[in-house]
Amino acid sequence: MDELRRTLSELKHLRRASIEKDMCTHPGVIGGLCIRCGQKVDDQSGVAFGYIHKDLRLGNDEVARIRKRDFKNLLRQKKLYLVLDLDHTLLNSTRLLDITPEEEYLRSQTHALQEPLKGSLFRLDYLHMLTKLRPFVRTFLKEASNLFEMYIYTMGERAYAMEMAKLLDPENVHFNSKVIAQGDCTQRHQKGLDVVLGHESAVLILDDTEPVWVKHKDNLILMERYNFFASSCRQFGFNCKSLSELKSDESEADGALATVLEVLKQIHGMFFDQKLGDNLVDRDVRKVLKTVRMEVLKGCKLVFSRVFPTKFQAEKHQLWKMAEQLGALCTTELDPSVTHVVSTDAGTEKSHWAVREKRFLVHPRWIEAANYLWQKQPEENFPVKQTKSQL
Amino acid sequence: MQFHLRHFDRDLCDKLVAKLMKDVEGTCSGRHGFVVAITGVEHVGKGLIRDGTGFVTFPVKYQCVVFRPFKGEILEAVVTMVNKMGFFAEAGPVQIFVSNHLIPDDMEFQSGDMPNYTTSDGSVKIQKDSEVRLKIIGTRVDATEIFCIGTIKDDFLGVISDPGATF
Repeated sequence: MDELRRTLSELKHLRRASIEKDMCTHPGVIGGLCIRCGQKVDDQSGVAFGYIHKDLRLGNDEVARIRKRDFKNLLRQKKLYLVLDLDHTLLNSTRLLDITPEEEYLRSQTHALQEPLKGSLFRLDYLHMLTKLRPFVRTFLKEASNLFEMYIYTMGERAYAMEMAKLLDPENVHFNSKVIAQGDCTQRHQKGLDVVLGHESAVLILDDTEPVWVKHKDNLILMERYNFFASSCRQFGFNCKSLSELKSDESEADGALATVLEVLKQIHGMFFDQKLGDNLVDRDVRKVLKTVRMEVLKGCKLVFSRVFPTKFQAEKHQLWKMAEQLGALCTTELDPSVTHVVSTDAGTEKSHWAVREKRFLVHPRWIEAANYLWQKQPEENFPVKQTKSQL
Repeated sequence: MQFHLRHFDRDLCDKLVAKLMKDVEGTCSGRHGFVVAITGVEHVGKGLIRDGTGFVTFPVKYQCVVFRPFKGEILEAVVTMVNKMGFFAEAGPVQIFVSNHLIPDDMEFQSGDMPNYTTSDGSVKIQKDSEVRLKIIGTRVDATEIFCIGTIKDDFLGVISDPGATF
């Protein structure tokens, strides 16, 4: 009887101990060990956060928990999240062997890697590359860091990403544990906010490439591409001389980064506007972005002429959708309320109508410029030429 | 220990010890842990020539200092990195991760150029180079490193010294 009682009490102890062990839900695993109870865990579920630690995986509940807590923390500091692309957005890199004869002069103009704060052109021998930082980038990062917690997200490899981070952030103040590279993406050829420890409703993305952000188009601010080197120009099919060959560069005060910084400040200001009354936690930066965008071409009514291929459904065209996102009204037929005719040929009926009725006649690039510069551009800068095939 | 015949000269013994130190110090084994330093060579056995190669194998018996953290052990470590997941600390060759689950609830993460965990009144701060006392709750040993999970949620654990403090 005694033995039975003793065995029962031992069993109870064991059961309690094993329940305690099992009770841990293993919210995350690092180096094969649970981050909460320290046990060895073989689980490969959840999302890998290799950019924080090479062996870190977090379960979905844990990611949600961290996001929630971090968001509250950020809101107290009046900050949002900003995800930054590298190539053609903050900088431009070229392989040493792709340098053209007219770019040779750059070789002697590179700055020492030990003094990244001093220059904008760097030579990385072990990566066999030259990298040019976009004008205004340092000021941009410094000012943006007061309003946003920033991430780097590139489709380049980790080694490249870390070197670029060192150039942009030599004191490791902005991007500590926040450099996401190609290997961290959960889907091939797609960037995702699933590996960013921030709520989607509070993230803005700056990238020159739209197709990689299919799932998060509403968070994206499309940047005008920075093509400094000749190889970059060629990559995108431009036959003209590059900025490096022309010994020129994007304007620092008027360039893309300066412009987008003002937009970011505006969005940030609107998000944290005290007068709106509702809880900050419930606000969505995507809505604010949409609102700001809709102001750009507000009041414009557009008709397109010789812009879309025949039999193409006009409303589905990228330019139509871009114009609508910018706040313009688009229509297929002329009427007295039309303000602009967007055309590639000044000889069409619609183009003639615009001139006759003293409405604006603009090239489609007028819409693209508004998209990149966040402001309606003077219509006279986008004239339309008459094409030669006129009868 | 494998040794090539070309090294056989009057300094053979010293070379053996030097190679031993170079090969073994800094390695890990699951059984003994991290080999920190060799303190003495007890005995070098007869060398056995390996057929077909110029190598001779010597069995060497030696003493050394090893470091192996155990589950439940209390250690002092230096913080190397702090982020929103928790912090990493080092105790000699051993790296320890303390997740925010195992940091006292009254400590909040503060991001910035010197990320840290601080109590609400600001009296206690954990940042890079802080010294902390922590308890090991899990270990993993592989050929080159020992990785541990630690906690500072128990009594008497936490910051020992604040690098920013002035006295």
